[in-house]
Amino acid sequence: MNGIVAYMKRDFLKWGRGRVAVVSSLVMPAAWLVFVGLALPVQFTGNYLDFIVPGILVMTMLTAGLSGGALLMFDKILGFLNKFLALPAPRSSILIGKILFITGRGLVQATIILAIALLIGASLLDPVQYGITYLVLFLFGVLISGFATTIALYLEDHDSYAAFNTMISMPLFFTSSALMPYSVMPGWLAMIARLNPLSYAIDAVREVTAGGFPAGAILLLLVLDAAFLAICLRVFRKVTI
Amino acid sequence: MNAIETEGLTRYYGDLCAVDNLNLSVDNEIFALLGPNGSGKTTTVLMLTTLLAPTKGRASVCGHDVQREGEKVRRALSYVPQDMAVDIKLTGRENVRFFADLYGVPHAADRVDEALAVMELTDRADDLIRTYSGGMRRRLELAQALVHEPSVLFLDEPTIGLDVAARKRIWEHIRALRRKGMTVFVTTHYMDEADQFCDRVGIISQGRIAALGTPAELKARLMKDVITARVEGPFTPPEVDGVAFVGRSGDEVSFTAGNGREALPLLADALKNNGCVVRSMALREPTLDDVFLQAVGRQEEPQGFAFDKFRIMLRRRK
Repeated sequence: MNGIVAYMKRDFLKWGRGRVAVVSSLVMPAAWLVFVGLALPVQFTGNYLDFIVPGILVMTMLTAGLSGGALLMFDKILGFLNKFLALPAPRSSILIGKILFITGRGLVQATIILAIALLIGASLLDPVQYGITYLVLFLFGVLISGFATTIALYLEDHDSYAAFNTMISMPLFFTSSALMPYSVMPGWLAMIARLNPLSYAIDAVREVTAGGFPAGAILLLLVLDAAFLAICLRVFRKVTI
Repeated sequence: MNAIETEGLTRYYGDLCAVDNLNLSVDNEIFALLGPNGSGKTTTVLMLTTLLAPTKGRASVCGHDVQREGEKVRRALSYVPQDMAVDIKLTGRENVRFFADLYGVPHAADRVDEALAVMELTDRADDLIRTYSGGMRRRLELAQALVHEPSVLFLDEPTIGLDVAARKRIWEHIRALRRKGMTVFVTTHYMDEADQFCDRVGIISQGRIAALGTPAELKARLMKDVITARVEGPFTPPEVDGVAFVGRSGDEVSFTAGNGREALPLLADALKNNGCVVRSMALREPTLDDVFLQAVGRQEEPQGFAFDKFRIMLRRRK
């Protein structure tokens, strides 16, 4: 446990000192909120901003998770990992600490995006709803960062990982339910969107804002998290010994 | 119980044998593993620090088996790898504190201050590492390694890429640790440093120990002192105890002697008595380089460069 906290603390300190990275990671989701959320003329809802906020929050977690995937790979390439592996702290805490940091960083960014959304006119929810929203975002963040870290460790090369990141981030976003409800999608898109894990998280947050409790989605995310953490731990063990 | 003990330690990468049946005991000393690039130094250290599983054989650190008692081994040692890895966006103090937390050191703040002080980094402790020189970064890594007071310290090429002054400083620190009772295991390919600062050296070549002993022993065992003299006039080889005539080329004659310093004046007298004029004499002590070359041979790759094996090796090492 000490190990996990120490690894997270290191990453948060480093992140906080890179001011450009902190701001730049917020630009894209904020731009979506303002330029799409406020400007897109849609017919299916009276308040498009409220409709798109869950999608943008999940997108923020997605970008944070995918860009964080390279962190552990860099620790490996730069020789940090060898030092960490020779320490008595459990080796799995290196991986868990990293996934929790990436997820935590995503949640910080999502909070700022949420604040911007409220400033430009999104509806305020009650504290319990925010609590459940954060739970969903957290579970989704663990899923994405576990997935991204596994891929990066497996590819073992920064350029390949960057290419992979560019390749999947936009398609994942556009084939989710972030921008429109299933009812107005063409049939083929609706089919893909229902399978897209982003949609699970987005739909879950929408259910929360509508006053419900997305038990099914949370359970599904929990199962996926467990599965991906198990895979990630396996790959991690394989590349470290 | 020796701090480090290996028995038939062997590691293969595919069918390339990186470490071949290594038997070593190291205790309470500065031990240097010397060898050319790719001779198995780093592989040995990786196995001893539990970062790589041996293919065959066993090894223990402070009485704990590296394969079965990994955590206990890691508690007893510190490892500073070759590539300098310190977080440049953190301060010196934060970097050391990070390791103190990972080791679960009690009274961490005090221990961090102490470790920084030992490495003479107190003045710069709160500056970002970005502003540190290479030598300071290396000392910071040592401070990280010392924060939990390990019994055994593994240093992989501790002075690589540093200037002369910084190297000397690093070695002085290593000597000081040794005086406090720490066992230090270093790998290096700087012969002069091993000669000057290490208690015992093992020369490793193609995964096998080619020579083992104190630097003085190795030099004495493998080579005698070399004396050369420039002479004029009629020359007949003189008879001096412990000196052997090697040969003459032009006006230069050369000898080897068990103890060159003592043989030098005797030889000069003997030459004069034989009727030749001595213009100059030179004594060269064998260096560890000579020992190394004799033990390892010139490093010419016999059957070209095996790219496949090299690639396998690199991939495993990353």
